[in-house]
Amino acid sequence: MFEILIDNYPVLLRGLTFTLIVSLSAIALGMLLGMTLAFALTSRFATVRWLAGGYRSFWRGTPILLQLLLVYYLLPEFGLNIPPLPAAILTLTLNTAAFQSEIFRSGIAHIPQGQIEAARMVGMHHWDIRRRIVVPQVFRLTLPPLTNEVITILKNSSLISVISVTELMRTSEQIASRTFQPLETYLVAALLYLAVNLLLARISAYLERHMKGGLAAE
Amino acid sequence: MFDFQLLFEMRGLILQGLWNTVWICFLGCLVALGLGLVLASLRLSSPRLVGPLVATYIELCRGIPLLVILFLLYYGGPSIGLRLSAEIAGLVGIGLYGAGYFAEIYRGGFLSIPQGQLEAARMLGISRLNILRRIQIPQMLQLIVPPSTNQLIILVKESALLSVISVDDLTKNATAMVNETFAVIEPYITVALLYWLIIETIARGGYALEKRLAQRSRMPTPSSSDTAGATHATS
Amino acid sequence: MPPLETTIDPITKAKTTAVNGSLIEARGISKHFGDLHVLDNIDFALSPSEVVCVIGPSGSGKSTLLRCLAFLEPYDDGNVYIHGQLLGYEQRGGMRIRASEKAIDRVRAPLGMVFQHFHLWPHRTALQNVTEALRLVQGLSRREADREGMAMLKRVGLFDRAHHYPASLSGGQKQRVAIARALAMKPEVMLFDEPTSALDPELVGEVLAVMKQLASDGMTMAIVTHEMGFAANVADRVVFMDEGRIVESGKPETLFRRPASERLSQFLNTWRERALT
Repeated sequence: MFEILIDNYPVLLRGLTFTLIVSLSAIALGMLLGMTLAFALTSRFATVRWLAGGYRSFWRGTPILLQLLLVYYLLPEFGLNIPPLPAAILTLTLNTAAFQSEIFRSGIAHIPQGQIEAARMVGMHHWDIRRRIVVPQVFRLTLPPLTNEVITILKNSSLISVISVTELMRTSEQIASRTFQPLETYLVAALLYLAVNLLLARISAYLERHMKGGLAAE
Repeated sequence: MFDFQLLFEMRGLILQGLWNTVWICFLGCLVALGLGLVLASLRLSSPRLVGPLVATYIELCRGIPLLVILFLLYYGGPSIGLRLSAEIAGLVGIGLYGAGYFAEIYRGGFLSIPQGQLEAARMLGISRLNILRRIQIPQMLQLIVPPSTNQLIILVKESALLSVISVDDLTKNATAMVNETFAVIEPYITVALLYWLIIETIARGGYALEKRLAQRSRMPTPSSSDTAGATHATS
Repeated sequence: MPPLETTIDPITKAKTTAVNGSLIEARGISKHFGDLHVLDNIDFALSPSEVVCVIGPSGSGKSTLLRCLAFLEPYDDGNVYIHGQLLGYEQRGGMRIRASEKAIDRVRAPLGMVFQHFHLWPHRTALQNVTEALRLVQGLSRREADREGMAMLKRVGLFDRAHHYPASLSGGQKQRVAIARALAMKPEVMLFDEPTSALDPELVGEVLAVMKQLASDGMTMAIVTHEMGFAANVADRVVFMDEGRIVESGKPETLFRRPASERLSQFLNTWRERALT
């Protein structure tokens, strides 16, 4: 098993880097879209709420592999030829945005209404309240479920190997078919995924401990 | 634009995929639910010896992608003499993977019951087993139904990965239809709808079970304790 | 170790030697969490029909004492006897080992306990809370258990609330159900751990009334409480604890009128000031 790791560490490292790049860019882009959706889900306009709800239902309610195949094979039908890597990032982004919108929505609901009323009473504008009062707190309130979502996306990123993006999983497949040692190779892959995810969980726990100060404990 | 004729011609593939997805998920989830309960009780009852082992197992499930677990079982298994068909590897994979998540759900359920309620029971001389049977399980059942429903739905969606190890499930057969007919929209949209149907059925079932449990014990559900309390007060 | 308190109560001391007269007796029990001595060499005993109130500032160890008497918290050193039987441990080959759960249940069967936060089972009605142990432990039939349970609820004045779930009962009613639940097992001693501390002020009276009635029926009781008026009126003996020790103990009129220790008079002064404001 260690032989596999030692012999192939440059390619494995490259695969892991791709996994991280794809996952983290999807998380970051998904955060922007997810936050926007969260506000859309609580919009004053019924149509906006309805559209956001429909989006969320589809992206949360179907397998992510199916979504990936749809994006990858359907977009060319409309004349959009999209290479595997952007297709992968796009799918993961659209998927995680739906899950993150729900996380943010519940986070927004947990901010005491009194704070928003207080902001309104000192004359702050609707969008200023969101930008300066709501959003900064939502991140702290939702850190544990957000961490889970990051880990989920990292794990789900393994399936973009199906459209031949050479991330960690695809790299492992290549090594396995070359060395005829699938058990050892996939164990190495498992350990690498596990290490990254444990590290992420640690970082999140650290952040949670150090962001407690100044948070509205309600 | 949507070609129903084509779907009708391809009904064999669709039905086969649906059947495979359903039976593998069903049995896999049963394994996950059962093994999860065993893991949770092991973790809570013997904190010294088995506890840390179970905790490690749960961490593995949460940190490793299902796809990697499936590959380990299906492609890695034969090197240690474990030859599983793709279907069985999928079933076992879902079972082992899901068990880690269910163990955590059950543990949360057990821990959510205030210690004092158990102390009160101990002071009355009620045995451990009876406390589990009459006080802990009835209360935690209501609490764990919503997260368990959620987890079942996640497992059904993740079962699409079985197509990668060549199980003829909904996803695999959708791709087969695409390759055969060059139509992209019909197969994928149909299959997406079928997944949605399975998931909706689970969600409805979970919701019905939750309501029935709440009704049977007539205990106010955590989310509606105020209103339920009020109805009892006036009855 | 700090110097010993000047007053050692003659009654407690007498009690430690009279093993046979006591229902429950703690001899030199200690409990510590790391360096913190929650209980420091405590002697405590209850004779039949005696009502003892334990008072003291929060963190003084009075609740821990009660929980050790019931072995809900294991004590580290010393012994607790119930009817002369050691609770929680057994001697085996000169070593003291923790007794089995079954043995613990058997020895503490004469004890009933009422908690600060009631700890009713939310998925059972008031009646079912009372009958659960009757059926599971004493093996009564449903009918017998229900009859017994209704009698107990009647005793605490909640006959008409029998089929209500805890969520629809007031705090005072919940605590009275909890008392009925403990009484149903026909305990010889009732332990009360701050039974009124979690209640709204207007609900305290109904619970104290039930406890007073119990006392006049001859029940042996140990009560950890902040209700000084109740202690003065109902207790045969009051024990004042501070920093894990029994500082003073004696008849309520002596203790409240002429506290012998500086700490007790301080404690009583603080309490009086608070009662006046």
